Amino acid sequence: MEELIQVETVDGRTAFRPGDWIEGTVRWQLPKPPKTIELRLFWSTEGRGDQDLTVVETVPFESPDAQDQRAFRIRTPEGPYSFSGRLITLNWALEAVAEPGDEAGSFFITVSPTGEEIQLNR
Amino acid sequence: MRAADNPFTVQKVRRIRYRPAGGVTWEALLARLESLGYRAAIVGPHGRGKTTLLEDLAPRLEAQGFRIRSVMLHTGDRFLTRDQRKALVHDIGPRDLLCVDGAEQLSRIAWASLLARSRAAGGLLITSHRPGLLPTLLDCATTPELLETIVRELAGREVEGIQALFLRHGGDVRAALLEMYDRWAGGGG
Repeated sequence: MEELIQVETVDGRTAFRPGDWIEGTVRWQLPKPPKTIELRLFWSTEGRGDQDLTVVETVPFESPDAQDQRAFRIRTPEGPYSFSGRLITLNWALEAVAEPGDEAGSFFITVSPTGEEIQLNR
Repeated sequence: MRAADNPFTVQKVRRIRYRPAGGVTWEALLARLESLGYRAAIVGPHGRGKTTLLEDLAPRLEAQGFRIRSVMLHTGDRFLTRDQRKALVHDIGPRDLLCVDGAEQLSRIAWASLLARSRAAGGLLITSHRPGLLPTLLDCATTPELLETIVRELAGREVEGIQALFLRHGGDVRAALLEMYDRWAGGGG
């Protein structure tokens, strides 16, 4: 099933270095106009322990229609880098959230000096 | 294996919701809670699903018109902090249902104070490792079959040795699933 909210980057780019600009578009097709739509750039952890999550930037889209699209441009911060080991993975993602309701669309990216997830096990 | 690809991450385990078993239904639980005047305890040792049950009762109680006000206590939390008190009992009324996860942590004085202040609320629902603080809504228990089902769902296939895993952790499903995480992380999945 197609997501009601889609987040895309230009050319589907997923690898970013600290300081790079992330450019893309958020598209949505909702049954009725939401009160707000907000794009969030955040990192979160997943693994053996409790989750850490930090939203580093938000982009609100004003006066959204039920079916609409908006361009965005966000600068990636200096860190933390995307990494993964046996105990913990740190993921970066863009997520657009409509309110009220719980509709959301997300797009995973990597942020590191090489643009690739750093592997701690190697 | 990347941690995020491990089927037993805490985040994936938390998506497993409470499953009433042994003839208990959500309707029966809610009816019993009502019969107890919405003042009751979910009881059981570690890893039996008390917190999950409390979380899953909350939206059902909201659907009945209650406003849920929750705090979670951790080991050594003998008193509510100022913020927790505010979140729980500030300006409470009959529509408010107070949920306290880990109420056994509170000192006798803090518990007595909370009991007194909760009288203005529509209810007080707690989890506790020991019975006796409030009438018991449910004594949570786990079975090897439950663990087997959860492991199969998370792993996407049958896994050997679940009975022994269950016994090794004395029925603590959370601890058993942490061992499964370690087993997968070590390549033994």
